[in-house]
This record gives sequence, C-alpha cells and structure tokens, in this order.
Amino acid sequence: MTERQAPPAPGRGATPGKRKDGLAALAFLSPSIVTFVIFVLAPTLGVLYLSFYDWNLLSDGTFVGLDNFERLFTDERLLRVYGSTVYMALAILAINVVLGLLLAVLLETRMPRWLRGVFRLSFLFPFVVSAAAVALIWRFLLNKDLGLVNYLLGGLGIDRIDWLGSSVWAPISIIIVNSWKTIGFSILVYIAGLQAIPDQLKEAAIVDGANAWTRFWRITFPMLSPTIFFLVVINTINSFQIFAEPRVLTQGGPGDASRTIVEYLYDRAFGDFDLGYASAIGITFMLVLIVLTAVQFRFSRRWTFYE
Amino acid sequence: MNTSLRKLATAGAVAALAVSSITACSNDEAAGGGDKSLEIVYWNYGPAAETGNKATADAFMAANAGTTVTLTPVTGENWGTYYANVATLIASGKRPDLMVISGEGAQFVHANNLVRPINEYLDKDADAKAITGDIAQGLIDGFTVKGDVVTLTYGWNNMVVYYNTDVFKKAGVEPPKADWTWADFEATAKKLTTDTNKDGKPDTYGFTWASNEIFPGIMPWVANANGNLTSDDVCSATADTPQVTKAVSFLRKLITDGVSPAPMPMSDVFTRFQNGQVAMFGAGRWPIGTFLPAGFKAFDIQQYPKGDTYKTVFGGAGYPILKSSKNPDLAWEYQKFTVSEEIEKQYVGTPEKPGDSIPSRRSLAQTISKVGVPPANSDLYYDSIDKQPTLVPYPAPAKYSAFESTVLRHLQLIFAGEASVSDGLKNMQGELSSIVTC
Repeated sequence: MTERQAPPAPGRGATPGKRKDGLAALAFLSPSIVTFVIFVLAPTLGVLYLSFYDWNLLSDGTFVGLDNFERLFTDERLLRVYGSTVYMALAILAINVVLGLLLAVLLETRMPRWLRGVFRLSFLFPFVVSAAAVALIWRFLLNKDLGLVNYLLGGLGIDRIDWLGSSVWAPISIIIVNSWKTIGFSILVYIAGLQAIPDQLKEAAIVDGANAWTRFWRITFPMLSPTIFFLVVINTINSFQIFAEPRVLTQGGPGDASRTIVEYLYDRAFGDFDLGYASAIGITFMLVLIVLTAVQFRFSRRWTFYE
Repeated sequence: MNTSLRKLATAGAVAALAVSSITACSNDEAAGGGDKSLEIVYWNYGPAAETGNKATADAFMAANAGTTVTLTPVTGENWGTYYANVATLIASGKRPDLMVISGEGAQFVHANNLVRPINEYLDKDADAKAITGDIAQGLIDGFTVKGDVVTLTYGWNNMVVYYNTDVFKKAGVEPPKADWTWADFEATAKKLTTDTNKDGKPDTYGFTWASNEIFPGIMPWVANANGNLTSDDVCSATADTPQVTKAVSFLRKLITDGVSPAPMPMSDVFTRFQNGQVAMFGAGRWPIGTFLPAGFKAFDIQQYPKGDTYKTVFGGAGYPILKSSKNPDLAWEYQKFTVSEEIEKQYVGTPEKPGDSIPSRRSLAQTISKVGVPPANSDLYYDSIDKQPTLVPYPAPAKYSAFESTVLRHLQLIFAGEASVSDGLKNMQGELSSIVTC
C-alpha cells in the first residue's frame, strides 16, 4: 500500500513549471500594473493626501485635518453643481442606452450595404473627433441671434431659443452635444452585441409564430442584457465626468446651470488655487461613482442574463 | 508640509486634477547648466506667441554669445488659466528665470512672493532712464505693486472700439468721432442694426463684446462710468456701486433693445465682425493679427465713447524676473532686450505681418501708421495712454482667475435676463468680498 502524500501548500511546493507560468503571467501583466500604479493609484493617493491640507500650489501647505471635507457640507454652490451634473448625466445616460439601442436595431435591419456603412460612419465620426473642437463648432451653431440652428428653426416659425444663455436651455444644449458625440460608441457596442445573438434563435421564434416585438423582448433584449449593463456602467461614469462641452459651450453658465462637478473641481484647484478643497471634492466624487457602480452591479443580477 | 511628500503628492494630484494640459517642452539640463543660461515661461496662446518668443530668444542668444535661452510654452484659455498652469509647473519643481505676465498677473506674482522687483536695476543701470523715458508712465504704473516695479512692459493693448467700415457705408452712417458719448454710441449702434432678410429679427447687430474676458468686455464701460470693480488698493471689491450698475445696465439695455446679440466669446466675435454680422466690438490691437492675414481690411478703430468721464483701459505684458532665477543679472539683460528697438519692431510689424500688440516704446509705436499697418487710425493706440487718463490700478487682485470667473458667471445671469442688474451685482459683490482681499 502506498502512502498518500499531502498536497503541497499553495505557493510553497509549486513546481518549477508553475513558477515559470506565474512569472510569465506577471511579466504579461506588468505593463498594466505599472500603468495602473502610475496613472491611477499614485494620483488617487496623492489627491487623498492633499485633501487633508490647505495648499495653494505655491506656498507651504498646512495640515487641516477634515476641514476640507466639512466645507463640502456648507458649500451651497457644490450642491447646485451636483444637481446640474446629475440632471445632465442621467439624460445623457438615458439617450445613450435607449436611443443608442433603437438606432443600433434600426441599423441592423435590412438595407443596402453602402447605406449601412454611411449611417455607421455618420454616428461614429463625432465620437472620434476632439470634444473641444466639436464644442467650438456647436457654440457657433447654437448662438441665439446669429447661429445657424435658430436660423433654420426660424424658417419653421419657431422663435429664437437662447441655447447657451438660458438656465433651461444651456444644460439641454450640453446634453444634446454630448449625446451626439458619444452615442456612436454605444451604437457600435450594441451592434457587436446584436451580431453575437445566434440567428437560429430568431429563426426558431419566427417558426413558432413570434412577432417582431415578442422576438425583441423574449430573445434580443435578454441576450443583449450584458451589453446593456456594460453600456449603463460605462456611460454613467463618462456622463458624470463631462468637462469639455460645458467649458467651451457655456462656461458652466449661466450661473451654475450647466456646470459639472469636474469643471467645479477644476476651478477650485486651478482658479482658486485651493488644491486641498478640490481634492476633497475629487475624493468624494470618486466615492459617489464607486457607490453608483456598485449599486448597478448589485441590481444587474435581477435583469442581466448570461449564457 | 513635508517637502518631498508634498512633491510626491503634487505629482500624483496634478496628474489627476489637471484637466488642462501643460505643454512643457523645456530642457532642464540647459536651465541649470551654467551661468549664462535662462529658462523662460510664456503663454502659448497661438502661433504668434511661439514665433515671437522664439525670435526674441534667438536674437538675444545671437547678441550675447555663449548664452542659452530655453523657452517653455504653457497653454491656457486665458491669462487666468495660464497663471494656474504656471503655478502647477512651479509646484512640480520647475524654477524658471523669467515668465511672461500681463498686468492682471502683477498682483499675483507679487502676492505669491514669486517676483524679484527691478527697482534696483532701474536705479543702477545706465540704460534704464532712456528706456523708461520712452515708455508711457501708465505702463510703468500698471506694473507697480506697493512701490515695487514688477517688470518693464514690452507690449500692451488698450481697449478701443473696432468698426466695420463696409457696414457703416452700407447703412449710411458716419464713422464715429473721438468725442462721441454713450448717447451717440447707442444711436449709432441702433442705426447699424438691420434686418436685411425681413424676417422680423436683426441679422446685423450694432455692437457686441467678449463674454469670456472682462477687459475687452465690461471694463471700458465701467471705467467710463467712473467706476471700477475693486478699490484703488485692490484690497476690496466694489462691484455693486452705482457706477458699475450704470455701466452694466447700459450694456444689458443694448441686448434687450435688440442692438446687441447674446454675448459670445471673443473668437466668435472676430468671425461675426469680419462677415458683417456685427458692426462694432471692443478689443485691443490683437484682432489685427487675425484680420490682416485673412485679408480683411474693412475696419478702423475709435476710442470708447465718453460716459461720465473717459479713461483708457489697457493691459500690458512683460517678463518679470522670478526669485527662483539663478541668474538674475542675465535675466535683467533679457528683460531689457525685450524692450529694445530690435525686438519692439516686431510688435509694429508690416501690413502683411502685423504685430498683435502695441510696442511699449513710444518712438516705435509712432511708426505703426508710417509703415502703413492698418487700421488708418493707428496713432490712437499710443495717444490713448499718453494723452488720456487711464484706469490704474488694474482691477486685478492676486486671485485673478477666481475673480474673473466670478464676475463673468454673474454677468452671464444678468445679460441672459435671469437676474436683475442690482441683484446680480449684489450677489457678485458678496462672492468677491472673500476673493478680493489683501
């Protein structure tokens, strides 16, 4: 009878081959790890460190403990800016996820190949163009008195809209311009998701007599749910971080009507030279986004289906 | 704060917080490499800044054998953000010898103890008297903070009214005269506002101003109403005075009367002016750097209309010596060189390649009209500071960037009709009271 040998303790009795595999894995991962440490972890820790100081970039900083975090609760403008950010971000998210899906489904319907190419290119093109350059052009188009958009609307008998100067319309302009720019990405991801759905499933449903609406809800939507979830998470993070559009189009105004948290944070850091407070805003904003993403992951289990 | 930890934190934090990019093409080796090297930081607002600074640096190196000048261009959407980016650069360990500043930056560099005043050089240097004698006193006063002369001014801009001569001709309106008043101005602007396509809305507007800067925006009107946005010592805000209220109310009325369009940033104003959609706007000399190369010459200038008084609103730029300079004497020689005849000629320019600011030396500025650089009324540029009262000191506190953005934010609400003039200025004053301090 041979004695059963105890398995080697993890990591201790690893064979030379396994150790080699581990080193190879580390080597392959090292560019990502180094990049993460330099561009994500170190800056985050730096911002956390600064959030406990009163520092204006040019003088010696003073340790102020939690003072910068206490200020967050008395800053009336911050609350207003959070409000405008949430409003614009949710609208951009909804447009990207819902309208993006609709457009992707339409683009996957039967049409000449060249026409499909034209549509796909048209939607994707704004996504690859610089946000600042795009915003500059839109600023020209949306000028209340001399812009092309109001000129065309005037032809339809619609009175001039103060796209960039009114508290009501300025955030809507940001939503329109940002959605126009980013929806191409959502469409692209949706199309990839739609093309991954096996044709046999749809064909079987047709044989069973399911109409287009039933096929969408019973087959396409469930099969696409991981893609939708991915886009919800990505678009939430991106839409909460918009900067170029409000900066160029409206300078966050009028007042704070179209100001975003990132813009507000930037102004506190590099306008007021209040690095400590800006860092506190940054840290809390990061926590808000982490919580939002965690909530999305938690609830996604109820409606996301994986094969 | 522990210095090394602070630097580490800065490196990380700046990378995370800085949305704007700093285009730093500096050469550290050259900066610290010897007794005859200089590192200079400048605002890279466009190709003209780059070529102008390079030409000056090259000429200095040619005239001073063995010297090395390293230029560090820094981006920024306006002077305020440029200062913020320079501060970031300094915080990350850079130690320039000189940096370009505007008048708005004089208080900033002085309050942050960054600058080495040049009073001593002005007293001792044999060339200094001849130089300062050829520079308008206002340009020296504009860069003097608490008795310290921060820098010599190499180039400057006064705020004048640009008018499109073709639009005036088409509307049958006489060009404005130097002694025009606010009432004359308003009447002229109304005549120039026309609805050519008869859709019930104007398509040519009489006047507009920059929404993204206060100097070419509201300041000439505030100054001519005999007001200012800060006290004379630049230690407290004066944004809700009757004078400021009068100026802002006048501008708002131009919008509500349909004589001015909704305010827009300066770059958009240039385009609207060239294509005749706006008949008049206010700026310094810099628009000709855009207009003439584009072949647009149908314009002239006039000083702002007189209100309760007349004051020339101006801004200048210079290369102050920073305290971090390892070579302050050489830096002074460079500063002097920037106001030499050889260099100042580039600000005069030619009709094909005009300068984009006014030379600080009177003798050079007076040659602009002689060499034929448009506009026809070019002599007004220097005359306005030599012969007219000026707005000194600048309403430019040490926290200029925060000051300007606060003023502009409240003006947005006022000009959009979402806040009354009195409420808007009252709120502005409330916020400025913690920003404008000493």
